[in-house]
Amino acid sequence: MSVDTVGLGGQPAAPDRSRARFAVFGLIVALLATVLGARLFMLQVANRGQFATLADANRSVTLAVKSTRGVIYDRTGLPLVTNVPSYSVKIRPADLPEDRRGEVVRRLAALLRMNEADINIEIDSNPGSRFDLVRIASDVDPQVANFIAESRLDLPGTEIVVESRRHYVTGALLSPVMGYTGPITRGQLDALASDGYLPDDLIGMTGLEAQYESILRGTYGAELIEKDASGRKLQVLQTVREPVAGNSLDLTIDITEQQYAEKALRWGMSTAGLKRGVVIVMNPQTGEVVALVSLPTYDDNLFAHGISTAEYADLLANPDKPLTNHAIAEHFPPGSTYKLVTGSGGLADRKITKSTQLLTAPYLTIGASKYVEWNRRGWGLCNIYCGFGHSSDTFFYQVAGMLGIDRLAYWAEQFGFGSRTGIDLPGEVKGTVPSNQWKLDTLGSPIYPGETYQAGIGQGYDLVTPIQLINAYAALVNGGTLYQPQIVRDVKDPSGQVVRTFETQVIHKLDIPASVLETIRQAARNTVLLRHTYNLVDLPIIVAGKSGTAEFGTRDAEGRLPFHSWFVGFVPKNPSPTAQDPTGMKAVTRTDSDLVVLAFAYDSRTIGNVATEIVKYYLQLHYGIQKDYRNFDLIARGNFYQSN
Amino acid sequence: MGTIDARPAPATDWGARSIGTVWRAFDLQIATYAALLTGFGLAMAYSNTVAGGTEALVPGSVFLRGLLWTSIALTAFVLATAFDYRWLKTFAWPLYVLQLGLLGGTLAFGTGVGGSSRWVSLLGLQFQFSELAKILMIVILANYMASRHGRMGSLWSILGACALTGPPLVLVLLQPDLGTSLVFGAVLVGMLFMSGASLRWLGAMAMGVVAALPFIWTYVLRDYQKERLTSFLDPLADIRGAGYQLYQSQIAVGSGGWFGKGLTNSTQNQLDFLPVQTTDFVFAILAEELGFIGGMVVIGLFMALIWRVIAVGWRSRDPFGTMFAVGIGSMLLFQLFVNIGMVIGIMPITGIPLPFITHGGASLVSIAVGLGILESINIRQGKAEW
Repeated sequence: MSVDTVGLGGQPAAPDRSRARFAVFGLIVALLATVLGARLFMLQVANRGQFATLADANRSVTLAVKSTRGVIYDRTGLPLVTNVPSYSVKIRPADLPEDRRGEVVRRLAALLRMNEADINIEIDSNPGSRFDLVRIASDVDPQVANFIAESRLDLPGTEIVVESRRHYVTGALLSPVMGYTGPITRGQLDALASDGYLPDDLIGMTGLEAQYESILRGTYGAELIEKDASGRKLQVLQTVREPVAGNSLDLTIDITEQQYAEKALRWGMSTAGLKRGVVIVMNPQTGEVVALVSLPTYDDNLFAHGISTAEYADLLANPDKPLTNHAIAEHFPPGSTYKLVTGSGGLADRKITKSTQLLTAPYLTIGASKYVEWNRRGWGLCNIYCGFGHSSDTFFYQVAGMLGIDRLAYWAEQFGFGSRTGIDLPGEVKGTVPSNQWKLDTLGSPIYPGETYQAGIGQGYDLVTPIQLINAYAALVNGGTLYQPQIVRDVKDPSGQVVRTFETQVIHKLDIPASVLETIRQAARNTVLLRHTYNLVDLPIIVAGKSGTAEFGTRDAEGRLPFHSWFVGFVPKNPSPTAQDPTGMKAVTRTDSDLVVLAFAYDSRTIGNVATEIVKYYLQLHYGIQKDYRNFDLIARGNFYQSN
Repeated sequence: MGTIDARPAPATDWGARSIGTVWRAFDLQIATYAALLTGFGLAMAYSNTVAGGTEALVPGSVFLRGLLWTSIALTAFVLATAFDYRWLKTFAWPLYVLQLGLLGGTLAFGTGVGGSSRWVSLLGLQFQFSELAKILMIVILANYMASRHGRMGSLWSILGACALTGPPLVLVLLQPDLGTSLVFGAVLVGMLFMSGASLRWLGAMAMGVVAALPFIWTYVLRDYQKERLTSFLDPLADIRGAGYQLYQSQIAVGSGGWFGKGLTNSTQNQLDFLPVQTTDFVFAILAEELGFIGGMVVIGLFMALIWRVIAVGWRSRDPFGTMFAVGIGSMLLFQLFVNIGMVIGIMPITGIPLPFITHGGASLVSIAVGLGILESINIRQGKAEW
């Protein structure tokens, strides 16, 4: 490089500068400018169309328009659930700056009276993308919603959405049937996204809301809207598709009967100190469920309002399982009510006839084991009317022994045990019908003779759901048709047109002669006449039925087992006794009854059969019987006396 | 390293010459191009304000703040022009200490988005000292290189320049402001090249930097910086994440066409699709609203401005003047190319403002100071020799 030169005046001379490097610098400037210009030309002029389209697509977006969810009516047309407008608070995580999240969550928690942790869980368990809304709170007080909407700047990412909320008119009275809707879970969303479900959608979680989700939901519409980057709606450009409201349901449930049934069950439970119970009322001619009560239960409006984590945890922690529909989702030993199966099977297989007499002794023995009669005495020689009427255990041990476990299982399956009834509610379980094959498969050994005895009286391995049991008796009552129980009568479109009418669904015809069923119905009437069910016979109507007591669990210090009580009863069509038929024995030969009722009392330690008392009270209410026949003293809690 | 040049500037110089002489030496082209570019910047500030739904002259609006900063910048330009630049040589070392102090203070007291500290609030206005630090850096490097004039062929001169640039560059990187530290580096390289530094050594150092890149990638860069740097390679890979800005800005530019949609008519801006559209991505909106023609006019103005800036350096008899002009030219060229290149998707996102156009007061005032010093150099060289 050059030598520094100093001018004459002491001033630095014009420094020698490399022309070459100035030229290179100039070239670089020119080159870079050309690159920028060329790329700009490519983007703006050459490929213009593509980007212009993208910019338009950016600005407008097709959004779903939610449809109105179908409503539900009882069989008389009373609305059971309606839609009411409500405010929800939602967060779009993409719009919530991470460094302000703590502050925003804190403010929201204070405004909504929620836990910060709950809000954080909602945000973090968001099933959609960061650009999808996350539900924080539903059914927020309008004033709070207003306040939040006005403080948008302090609560970035927070949005108030007006949506419709379910209002369950009857609340806890019908919760096990109705169920509720709740925020869609990630798993559900993955499965249903192709059906147009959105990450902040509500979906039927249980009960009819879940069972009839696709019918109630309707079809979401779509509209083309102009939006800004955060997805805020600026204006509707075009309605692409109108939403179609969901169809509504008419139930087979009669709310008056439901109230009677619940009243009877609540009375029985409080008087006998029960923790759980079920009452079901059915029309045996069609399989329609007229009332279905399962206690304890919950108020489904809690879920509609957006249940808090603490409230939900309380429900889950309750040992009596209020969230479970005990009528269908749990099975129990049926006790003596199962003698329907043993008796019908013995007669149908001609092991006995209706006049065959068997000796009912205090007990039977197999090897060293004793199989005891429930009253420890027996009734001497007994036919089917006597054996069924007194609920003789030794009578049915013998009949079960004659049938053998596999024939007994065959007849149980004829009555629908061991399979789901197919009632239109989610969560039904199958119960257990023991057989040699079943025991080999599950426990690895064949049935022992004593176990066949136990199975013959509804103990041991027998497990049934209340809905299976009442459905079996419905088949007995209607002369041999096993119907699928149904809760929904018909489906109507939003204009009120019926789009699906009620049709009975036959599971199968029983492989049992009508005469056998008639004998069992008369034996069931005999149960009442023999006062095995105390003063039930005194009611001014003809009632037939069968009670049951089923031991379960483990023995206490005095060797006693806790037990459940059952009663299944039916009433012929014209229930008043007549002069020609003072005992009602002729009335029950008919197959025209339209009322079967079942009561189930879980862990009932009473002298009298509390289930019988509950059915009695229900019948008093249903038939408007003024005189009160209930036995308060017999079912006072605290006695271990066991009756069948 | 250089020594402080304690020789005072001849105080008589300014007063001795008539206003007319001064006026003739004043480079009117530089002032004109700068004014036109500032006008584009104000137009974009106006467009952004109106599109944002507020009146242009509402207190606190981007446009009003732009006007305020423009007047401050104009004052700074006039003062810098009047100021005898030779004092800068005298005070080069104190200025270096001032620069380190400003950057250190920003780190200690500054605020910024996302946990960074870039701005210091002064009298209610946020000021980004790293912008001023760029001009100071150029002053210091020009002084250093001028003092070693004729000896720039040696390795030690190059290392000395690097050692001077190192501390401020690291302080800026800690803010963290990757973009500004890259500008420091670009200015250093440009000035070294034009100072006549040995190409062999420069080449060797460039290879050293390339060799150090994996280390820098692993230990110096933060994750979000890496994401931004790589997202330009395939912006579509993550159009809702790191590639979002890039994707949206290309849509904005691309939808502009020949003549654009007209001022205030950008949909990308209006509807908030482009985050930070008022700062580093403002050229995207400019290209969308003013089209290819508008964009090319802006690039052309920059080219003309840089051309005049380099011409001042060519004319200067004072090596300091030459080096200072080269530094300003390098800075403008680098920021222009990297900023617009980022907007149109050929450079990674680094957060470098577009001089004059980006709505940042500090950037505008700093450039005004830099151009003012250039005018001061020009005026004090006497008649051009060519």
